[in-house]
Amino acid sequence: MKSSGPNTNESWWRQYNYWHETVLAMLIVGLLLSASVLSPSFTTVKTQVGLSSDMWELALLALPMTLIIITAGIDLSIGSIMALSAVVLGMTFEAGANPWVAAMCGIMAGTACGVFNGLTVAKLKVHPLIVTLATLAAFRGIAEGISLGRPISGFPASFTELGTGTFGGVPIPGLIFGVLALLFAIALARTPFGLSIYAIGHNPLASRYSGLPVARITVAVYALAGTVAGLAAAIYVARRNTAKADIGTGLELDVITAVVLGGTSIFGGSGRILGTLLGVLAIHQTRKFVGWYWDREELNFIVVGVLLIAAVLLNRLFDKKTK
Amino acid sequence: MRYLLALCAVSVLALVSGCGGDSEAPKTTVTVKEGSSITIALLPKKKGIAYFTSCAEGAEEAAKALGNVTVIYDGPTDGSPEKAASMIEKWTLKGVDVIAVSPNDPSVLAPAMKAAQAKGIKIITWDADAAPDTRSFFINQATSQQIGEAMVDALIKDMGSVEGQVAIVTATLTAANQNAWIDAMKARLADKYPKVELVAIKPCNEDQKIAFQVAQDLMKAYPDLKGIFGISSVAFPGAAEAIKQAGKSGQVQITGLSTPNAMKNYVKDGTVKSVVLWNTKQLGFLTVLVAIAVKDGTLKAGATEFDAGTLGKKPVVGDQVLLNNLLIFTKDNIDQFDF
Repeated sequence: MKSSGPNTNESWWRQYNYWHETVLAMLIVGLLLSASVLSPSFTTVKTQVGLSSDMWELALLALPMTLIIITAGIDLSIGSIMALSAVVLGMTFEAGANPWVAAMCGIMAGTACGVFNGLTVAKLKVHPLIVTLATLAAFRGIAEGISLGRPISGFPASFTELGTGTFGGVPIPGLIFGVLALLFAIALARTPFGLSIYAIGHNPLASRYSGLPVARITVAVYALAGTVAGLAAAIYVARRNTAKADIGTGLELDVITAVVLGGTSIFGGSGRILGTLLGVLAIHQTRKFVGWYWDREELNFIVVGVLLIAAVLLNRLFDKKTK
Repeated sequence: MRYLLALCAVSVLALVSGCGGDSEAPKTTVTVKEGSSITIALLPKKKGIAYFTSCAEGAEEAAKALGNVTVIYDGPTDGSPEKAASMIEKWTLKGVDVIAVSPNDPSVLAPAMKAAQAKGIKIITWDADAAPDTRSFFINQATSQQIGEAMVDALIKDMGSVEGQVAIVTATLTAANQNAWIDAMKARLADKYPKVELVAIKPCNEDQKIAFQVAQDLMKAYPDLKGIFGISSVAFPGAAEAIKQAGKSGQVQITGLSTPNAMKNYVKDGTVKSVVLWNTKQLGFLTVLVAIAVKDGTLKAGATEFDAGTLGKKPVVGDQVLLNNLLIFTKDNIDQFDF
């Protein structure tokens, strides 16, 4: 419940802060209702749990991407970081390491990539679009270079459980995502770290003059993206039982689409984890339903394109600044 | 009159089917049981390229001819193995009867293929194979031996003589497919054309410019060279261009393995007389027939022959069904193929 505020003349819907999320949720419910009529098997729990396995990497990466976009930044390199982490994981495992140790090495490699992105953005003052466009190519290049494009598989079943197992009927990657989403939401909405992220997105110069450690926070959000990309890579490797250099290709576009669809302003300063969750869900459900009902892969590109435009229009409709 | 004709037709049919029943051949003709239907998902390596589209056309033809068969043709438009694996997972949830996979990365697809098998869905591979424990049968368009022999026979025919020097332009010296073909080609030459001398095997590293250069060098080094094999889809057009630019069309023959569209111009201007490939539509057609036979249990491990109806009887070697129908594209028939 939101208080109606001092200005009682203004109708309640102008005060309501969650229009974007509400409309998005209604769209998702509408889609699922139509889906249950057109193809009842699509909305069963079994199908939804089965199809969800494709969503977790996207969902995980959307969390730190929300933070980055709120700082008015962007990270195009997360798909490539995933690839590099996966290759590090695979090669460490192949060298005889325990797969869980290998996964930690992969996550550390991902974090290192993120720190590199963050430092270049914060210290060298290069636009994040340029920095991560460069590392998008560079990290994948390194991944391909050190693995020579060779896939590594043969992970033990105890490790592949990370990607394919369930706990109490919920897929394990889903549980990991649930915990992380909660942490991200709290960190963003309720901590000084989160508030600084909004402040940097609104006005980096004013943030710096008011004593915020802008550089440190910037490095932290990009590093966080690297860490989560490393984690997503471990889940991916476990799920497909293969580590190779071409995973996550083009994933950054899906992630950015989900975040923007979820109401985070691409110009920074506003956005919420709740919106991102709905954005991920909207993309996932739409895409899976199109695939389920029509079995035509090429339609998916159109759907994602239309969704992105819809997101921007939706944002403009509810963005108070444009009123 | 019409009734009479119909009656004749019916009686002829009855006669034919009666004869079929009497003959000693085991009855393995593929049919779909009345009142039942079957759904087959056909997964290409990449959707939207002419080669696979023409395979899918053949699969659709088979579905139409049999009735009660639904073929879902879908695959990643970017060739991504992850998307292919997701599709297998989707079809597993949907509960299709058979998934026919052309794997673009067998290791990535393996978990999804095994999970589908665990749910009772039949998995077969076509066009390219995967690990044997992830599928029951592989529909193989041609064995290395058949491909090697077809290329040798085509070049000898184009040369119009059973003696002279020939050379091979291959992909890389370590390419497994090409090396298997080269072995088959050497065996065929030694066996049937002992007076044909294979003077060189040169790699082009899958670069058309290098293939062009290599072919030029070969013609200089061996002025009496009679023929070249371009045994990759890159080596073939590269070497053909070199022969054309050297003005040696007709003097030096060239053949190889490629899709008809890539070679159409060279075939029309006479540089290339024969292009070897399999019948892609028949590959799709056969895949659907095998899918049905695997599903209803008429094709089991240990079979040695598969009755593919209008395509004739196809040999089954181990767990592979062979299409056994290499096509030679020449200037007379190449316009009938568009892929």
